[in-house]
Amino acid sequence: MVLIAKTLLQNWKIFFIEAGALSEFTGRFFTQGFRPRYEFREFVKQCFLIGYQSLALIALTAFIMGLVLTMQLRPSLVAYGVESQLPAMVGIAIVREIGPVLTALIFAGKIGSSIGAELGSMKVTEQIDAMEVSGTNPFKYLVVTRVFAATLMMPILVMLSICISLFGSYLGVNIRGVTSFHLFWTQIFDFLKFSDIIPAFIKSFFFGFAVGIIGCYKGYYSSKGTEGVGRSANSAVVVASVVVFIIDLIAVQITDVLGLN
Amino acid sequence: MAKKLANHFRLGIFVLAGLFFLVLLLYMIGKNENIFGSTFVLKARFENINGLMPGNNVRFAGINTGTVKDIAVLNDSTIEVTMLIKEKMKPFIKKNAIATIGSDGLMGNKLVNLTASKISAEEVNENDILLSGKAVDTDELIKVMGGATDDLALIVTGLKTTINKINNSAAFWDVMNDASLPVNLRSSLMNVKQSTAGMNNMVNDLQAMVRHVQSGKGSIGSLLVDTTFAHNLNEAVERVKRAGNMADSISIQVTTLVRNIDRNLNHGEGIATALLRDTAIVHRMENSLQNIQKGTEAFHQNMEALKTNFLFRGYFRRQDQQKKKQAPED
Repeated sequence: MVLIAKTLLQNWKIFFIEAGALSEFTGRFFTQGFRPRYEFREFVKQCFLIGYQSLALIALTAFIMGLVLTMQLRPSLVAYGVESQLPAMVGIAIVREIGPVLTALIFAGKIGSSIGAELGSMKVTEQIDAMEVSGTNPFKYLVVTRVFAATLMMPILVMLSICISLFGSYLGVNIRGVTSFHLFWTQIFDFLKFSDIIPAFIKSFFFGFAVGIIGCYKGYYSSKGTEGVGRSANSAVVVASVVVFIIDLIAVQITDVLGLN
Repeated sequence: MAKKLANHFRLGIFVLAGLFFLVLLLYMIGKNENIFGSTFVLKARFENINGLMPGNNVRFAGINTGTVKDIAVLNDSTIEVTMLIKEKMKPFIKKNAIATIGSDGLMGNKLVNLTASKISAEEVNENDILLSGKAVDTDELIKVMGGATDDLALIVTGLKTTINKINNSAAFWDVMNDASLPVNLRSSLMNVKQSTAGMNNMVNDLQAMVRHVQSGKGSIGSLLVDTTFAHNLNEAVERVKRAGNMADSISIQVTTLVRNIDRNLNHGEGIATALLRDTAIVHRMENSLQNIQKGTEAFHQNMEALKTNFLFRGYFRRQDQQKKKQAPED
């Protein structure tokens, strides 16, 4: 019993230490990120790696998600006799929640682990130290560029994911029924409001930032050799995914308070 | 270097595609909420808006023509709804259009329905306040539906009882199981059909007759249509009436006469009274008549004697011969 209590206490202590270190790391990003010299080329490269190269995976999952969600919702709506509302309901679900959160989770899995592993391996092989010695600011070059790229690419990925997911939904609607393409999009846009799309768009910046900063933090402070690299990558994915949900929770509370729900 | 340019190209397409979809989404939503394009403002005042919110649709004749822009409480019983209406709908919405709160389906979003009045009026202007109708209250609707459901339950119960009675009715099932019933029914229907045809013919004949009468043909037609006949008839009736009056007058005179005669007979003098009342005269008259009869018989004997007399025999023969001659000629 005492052992369990000690372990819990230790874990809580580690949690707070990690939270403090992450906050300090985030503060360092804001202090150094907006100051010259800007690593623009590295930023564009990271945008390509983080954004463009994630598109295929996110597009596939989004398409499947739209299709599956539509087919799963259909029986319930048929039972209530409101099958015609299927495009509108799926549209709102995808735009408000499924699109941003699903994209963020896939993004955390792919990019969070990638950044954590990449920076972790650079850390354990002392490449980051070498950069410091050679006069390059490794934080600016490695962290700031990746975090900015993740923050800016995430909303674009979310928009494309929503679009592809709605195409998947259109296919799902037409598997069991017949709805014209024009009517499908008209119904969706008829029900959507700015209060649906703007909060989703804004929170996707936070999702991207969270995935980027946590991946960089886990990798940047990686230790204990190759074992530490794997742990950093894994930890980056888990923490980023949890933080995505926490941000989503906060976002829905804020939109509720602002009367946008 | 080429690979780097290709990557930049792909990244550019990726970013632009994402931004394009974002802009498209915002534009379509904005278009639906009448943010883009020219609009004008109309207002309507209600007692109860039943949960209407800014952003809800405004429909004119079932077409989405705008959105609710703002809702303001003017006082405890008046709520002003400000609507943004598409400019292109302005010529069709008249000043006497009626605004009511409705809903998109039974469970859908609230909306404002603008209904055109049948009376012509001028088209609306900016900031006009439209007449408002009473909103359909869902609670009231549910209450009415609840009443209807109770009635329905009663009907169903009655129907159930009836069906049970039918199911338990041996007579009904005997009739239903009777194989000859369809044949008889068919035969009856045939008879009904024939009767109907006969009735149709009869009605046609009757119509023809009516037409005949209407055209003034025949006795009834003349009676109904011919004015001369009617005049003659009136005249005849007048004559009958006059004859009746005269008959009345004659009747009175006869009555008077009879009374006089009666009075004369009972109280007066003269032959008639004597004949009726004096028995001695009657006896004398009887004797006289008997004497006349005897005289007549004696005269007849004398005449027969004369026929045989030689002086008058020739005369009577000539008389007989003339009679015989005249008889064949007749």
